[in-house]
Amino acid sequence: MFRSTILAVGLLALGCSFAPAFAATPATASATTQAKAVHVIVLDKMVFGPMPTGVRAGDIIEWVNHDIFEHSATARDGSFDIDLKPGATVRTTAKAGSFAFFCKFHPGMTGTLVAK
Amino acid sequence: MNKSLFALALTLGLGSLASVHAQQAAPAINDAQIAHIAYTAGAIDVTAAKQALSKSHNKAVIEFAKEMARDHAAVNDQALALAKKLGVTPADNATSQSLAKGGSAEQTKLAALSGAAYDKAYAENEVAFHKAVLAALDGTLIPATQNAELKSLLETGSKLFHEHQMHAEHLAASLK
Repeated sequence: MFRSTILAVGLLALGCSFAPAFAATPATASATTQAKAVHVIVLDKMVFGPMPTGVRAGDIIEWVNHDIFEHSATARDGSFDIDLKPGATVRTTAKAGSFAFFCKFHPGMTGTLVAK
Repeated sequence: MNKSLFALALTLGLGSLASVHAQQAAPAINDAQIAHIAYTAGAIDVTAAKQALSKSHNKAVIEFAKEMARDHAAVNDQALALAKKLGVTPADNATSQSLAKGGSAEQTKLAALSGAAYDKAYAENEVAFHKAVLAALDGTLIPATQNAELKSLLETGSKLFHEHQMHAEHLAASLK
């Protein structure tokens, strides 16, 4: 009985001391997630999929390469050059503007990302 | 690869398809043979790329060869995986044999060259090779393919060959 009481008190103490720290972390992450929407661009079969709409500066762009080939998303103005190996997922942060891009290995693959 | 030889191989091997299809008869070429032809074409270009990587000192040629080796190996790996999944063994045939023979002859020819002469010949051969295979893919192989997954892979292969042909044309033009 005495041992189990000590154990219970100990657990309560641990809970009290750690709970605020644990609670703070998800709250911060949640606030960050809400501020930055994630927009996915899928590459497959030698094509960039549909471009996301409603992208705002600061949002996350998630480039997902489902193709069997290595590709890149290379901005024509040089503002980004993302290497996308087969199966890779790469996240970047959107900047305001209209960015025409292409795959430097297969230049016929093109797209334009617009963020406000 | 010799342009005329390659075109001849494709024409001789696949030319009978159109008339056969017109008569609504059984396909003159089946998926197992088509898979073998596509695989052979890819393997020829990987071999040519490896030769280029061992011979060339030109940065643009080396980058191009790396891309050819990487992309064609990826298609061929996928083709083998698909064949295994479907329980199909790629079947050797006259067109594959002609392709392999032509590829080997071109390798020997290119091996005798060096420096700028080699780079130029390799680039020009890559233009001709991709053009010939692309014509066969779009004109004969893809329309004759029965299995949807193989057809989809060949369609992706067609886009790839188109990109490679353009890249090879730019490379060849830059070496003149």
